[in-house]
Amino acid sequence: MNVCSKCGNPHVIIKKKSSGQILCRECFIETTESKVLHDIRKYKLVEKGDKVLLGLSGGKDSVMLLEILNSLKERHVIDLVAVTIDEGISGYREDGVRIAKLNTEKLGVKHRIVSFKDYFGFTLDDVMKKTSDQPHSRHPCTYCGVFRRWFLNRVAKEEGATKIATGHNLNDETESILMNYLEGNIQNLTRIGPKSESRNERFTVKIKPLREIPEKEIGLYVVAKGLEVHFAGCPYAGESFRAEIGSFINDLTAKHPTIMYSTLRGFDKMKPVLKKEFAEESHTGICENCGEPASGRLCKACSFVERWDEDKV
Amino acid sequence: MVVTVIKGENKKKLDINGNKTVKDLLELLDVPSETVVVKKNDFIVIDEEQVQDGDTLEIIQVIYGG
Repeated sequence: MNVCSKCGNPHVIIKKKSSGQILCRECFIETTESKVLHDIRKYKLVEKGDKVLLGLSGGKDSVMLLEILNSLKERHVIDLVAVTIDEGISGYREDGVRIAKLNTEKLGVKHRIVSFKDYFGFTLDDVMKKTSDQPHSRHPCTYCGVFRRWFLNRVAKEEGATKIATGHNLNDETESILMNYLEGNIQNLTRIGPKSESRNERFTVKIKPLREIPEKEIGLYVVAKGLEVHFAGCPYAGESFRAEIGSFINDLTAKHPTIMYSTLRGFDKMKPVLKKEFAEESHTGICENCGEPASGRLCKACSFVERWDEDKV
Repeated sequence: MVVTVIKGENKKKLDINGNKTVKDLLELLDVPSETVVVKKNDFIVIDEEQVQDGDTLEIIQVIYGG
């Protein structure tokens, strides 16, 4: 009979294949929260007095992170503000925005909602409708990623935030390592880690406190805690290379339960060498349009907008 | 035995034969177990939990592609 490895409770909710640990609801929640707080300390992700901007989609990862960062806010270790970015994906984002608002109101955390439409005058749906038949059209995840990063950096500055926290989990991080390796993007590999290390002061430091928590355990955590979460898949994501890699990693994990941990550990050992050999400090200039960091005349977001203007998209 | 299965908006009764675990049931329904959390009679259970006549199983999809 299965009983909790920590307290002996027979009502267990997880049997971890990677470690053999069996846990009841209470011990699973406690162990998971402790692990995240331990990683925050280990990698020095926050310091006392930091103001943290959390990217809050309303999905399981960011809602879990909101809970944990809020515990640091309640202990007066950090100040916390959340931002939800509305890309304008019809039938998908509305629920996430509503749930993000609900969770921040419940905890009394300041919450901002910013939209592609308000800042740039278009939604992601508009862009995809108008550019999908153009020869230089990119995957929606490319546009979305560029504009989301732009928003996070911009809102962090507006709020005076010293850190930007995102809910990237173990699966996301393993996918990024594999994707960039397989595509030969060694520059991108040098930027993967628990904490961004840009020397450019215009970039707010980004942190990933859930980097060592598997996605399934995050799902279990929010259900076990009874949190209100937006469970849905982005309609654009299914076509991406990331989705292909994610599915490959899931298949591997079914047979080799520790594969994501070993991929991450191995990568973290190699990273100092990669950084030494390949890291380049990019984006030393300023975008002449928006003032954000840029490698050329314009930042990536503004150069997309300029191209669409030229093409009369 | 008959069990009630809830997945999202869908609720249905399922007539199944013999001893079955949650894992067997998920395989029967073609639901990858790594993408869901299952509640049996309102309590979260693990894959090897036995399913019994009259049980209500709620399948909560927590992982979506992408």
